[in-house]
Amino acid sequence: MHNLGTVFRFEVTRTLKKRSFWIMSLFFPIAIAAIFGIVFFSNRATHEASEQVAKQSFSIAVTDTSHLVAPALLQAIHAKVVPDKQTGVHEVATGKVDAYFYYPADVSKQTIEVYAKDTGLFNNNRYQAVAQALLDQSVASTVSTQTKAILQNHVAFTTTTYKDGQVYNGFKQLIAPGVFLVLFYILITMFGNQMLTSTTEEKENRVIEMILTTIKARTLIIGKILSLIVLALIQIIVILIPIVILYLLIGDKLSLPNFDLTNIPLDPVRIAIGAVIFFLSFLLFTGLLVAIGAAMPTAKEASGFFGIVMILIFGPLYAVTLFISAPDSPLVTFLTFFPFTSPIPLLLRNAVGNLSVPEALLAIVILAVSASVVMAIAIRLFRYGALEYSKRLSLGSVFGVKRKRIQ
Amino acid sequence: MDTTALVSVDHFRMDFGDKTVISDLSFTIKKGETFGLLGSNGSGKTTTIRALLGIYQPTGGELLIAGKPYKVDGSVKLGYLPEERGLYKKELVLDVMVYFGELKGLTKSAATRWSLDYLNKVSLGDHAKTRLDKLSGGQQQKVQLGVTIMNNPELLILDEPTKGFDPVNRRLLMNIIEEHQKQGATVIFVTHQMEEVERLCDRIILLKDGTARAYGTVADVKKSFGGASLDDIFIKVYGDPVGQETF
Repeated sequence: MHNLGTVFRFEVTRTLKKRSFWIMSLFFPIAIAAIFGIVFFSNRATHEASEQVAKQSFSIAVTDTSHLVAPALLQAIHAKVVPDKQTGVHEVATGKVDAYFYYPADVSKQTIEVYAKDTGLFNNNRYQAVAQALLDQSVASTVSTQTKAILQNHVAFTTTTYKDGQVYNGFKQLIAPGVFLVLFYILITMFGNQMLTSTTEEKENRVIEMILTTIKARTLIIGKILSLIVLALIQIIVILIPIVILYLLIGDKLSLPNFDLTNIPLDPVRIAIGAVIFFLSFLLFTGLLVAIGAAMPTAKEASGFFGIVMILIFGPLYAVTLFISAPDSPLVTFLTFFPFTSPIPLLLRNAVGNLSVPEALLAIVILAVSASVVMAIAIRLFRYGALEYSKRLSLGSVFGVKRKRIQ
Repeated sequence: MDTTALVSVDHFRMDFGDKTVISDLSFTIKKGETFGLLGSNGSGKTTTIRALLGIYQPTGGELLIAGKPYKVDGSVKLGYLPEERGLYKKELVLDVMVYFGELKGLTKSAATRWSLDYLNKVSLGDHAKTRLDKLSGGQQQKVQLGVTIMNNPELLILDEPTKGFDPVNRRLLMNIIEEHQKQGATVIFVTHQMEEVERLCDRIILLKDGTARAYGTVADVKKSFGGASLDDIFIKVYGDPVGQETF
């Protein structure tokens, strides 16, 4: 393994020198910034436009058979009261008024009808907004401030939960162990394809014979995996820095939810379990992707299998509510302990706190054994598949008939 | 010349599935000699080299270098130019050379120094910072040769080394082989180019269908075939193109 450092440095350095690495790394924060920017400017523009629309005055006729609209309000906006819908519609059609609102007798069952002069797709919204505002303000003026707050969903709640006699904040509890779930997701989605094709390069470039007679296959593969981990961490930092800067600069203007992230609880057992599951899951899937890459003659053919691996990893996300609400169900048990589907269920259940320590230990043993077997297969496939320049390698040919002929 | 056997192949057998490629092959290569491993396409030359270097696991027999099966971290410094050639094409020439130099045990500075000297010697000094895939085929071959010999190998294995080489690179290769011969390196020359064999090799083995058809010094082999040239011996063993025996 004395060449491990050399392989690691070579792989990291050459990737960092690639423009595509930085384009990919910077694309994400730039895209986030662009989305933030669009949302920010769109909100501002909409707000300004709404204010402008609100300032615009237009003539209104109203028929209120519900008797909910306050006459004082109608008077204040100089609305014309007409006896029936037919008259009101006629007034609009002939241009005598800009808008006519018809309030039916029972607004909970019937539709409020708005007839108005067309002023463009965006500006036409103001008519309905005014019709709604007339109704809201009329009703609000008849009830107390508290009732008004309840009806408008303006009441605040705080919830304090207890577990084992102690105050327990479920959301804060899941943050620290949940980091491993997020990290695993990011690493696999961003670097999965690179793992898959990391060994096909040696094959496609016909450099494999020189490599296999210079270093051990195991050294090369472990060096590549370590380099991928470090590159992924670098990429995460590159992605996070601009996002954090952006948040610090204009975060308060983006109307983001305000989470109190102080005093995050650090449960050492759950964090340790999360770290071990993360590491073993990463090894397992790296091994699987490397094995597929080693068995395929080209990166293009290997990429065809990427989707299948992604379904195995992220498919369980569709059962996310089940992991939280019914952790003892047979499906959850299967997805938790079957090694190729286990990372997301294990990391998620560990984060939300419904993975017991014995369950975690059993899953860790299964993952460790699976990861070792898959890594051993990957190295073997690499050794025996490396010289198969033009065709796929089958497991049978590696483990049944070990020796393959080249020419 | 030191007559100690550096390479010994003893009753080597290699099957691929139901097909036997090498049935029973034995030979030795002495330390410091240049040995020609000859034969037509598919005769088992490359298979023998790959088995010798541990890339293939032999079905039977023993293939040893300095008395042991070859290991990448063993004591013998190896320079191997495989038949299937290539390097990391998207990387810079110097980076690739230094990488292989370090893998072969050189320090980074020593590998860099050696690579720059070599590139200057083969008129590629201006291309040290060029991507390999921007070089011509001939220039890439020069780089590959450099990578093969940069650790000053004790055992230099060249599998079809002149395949696809232009005359300039062929001359360069010959010079390299001669230089290493003078330094006492053992050279295994896998080829079917008899002209080069006559010029460079001390001893040869001629393979057909996985067995040795001739083995010994170039002079002895010629003598055993009635003083014919190596070209004629090759045709005699494999049959002439129209299927008629020359002798």
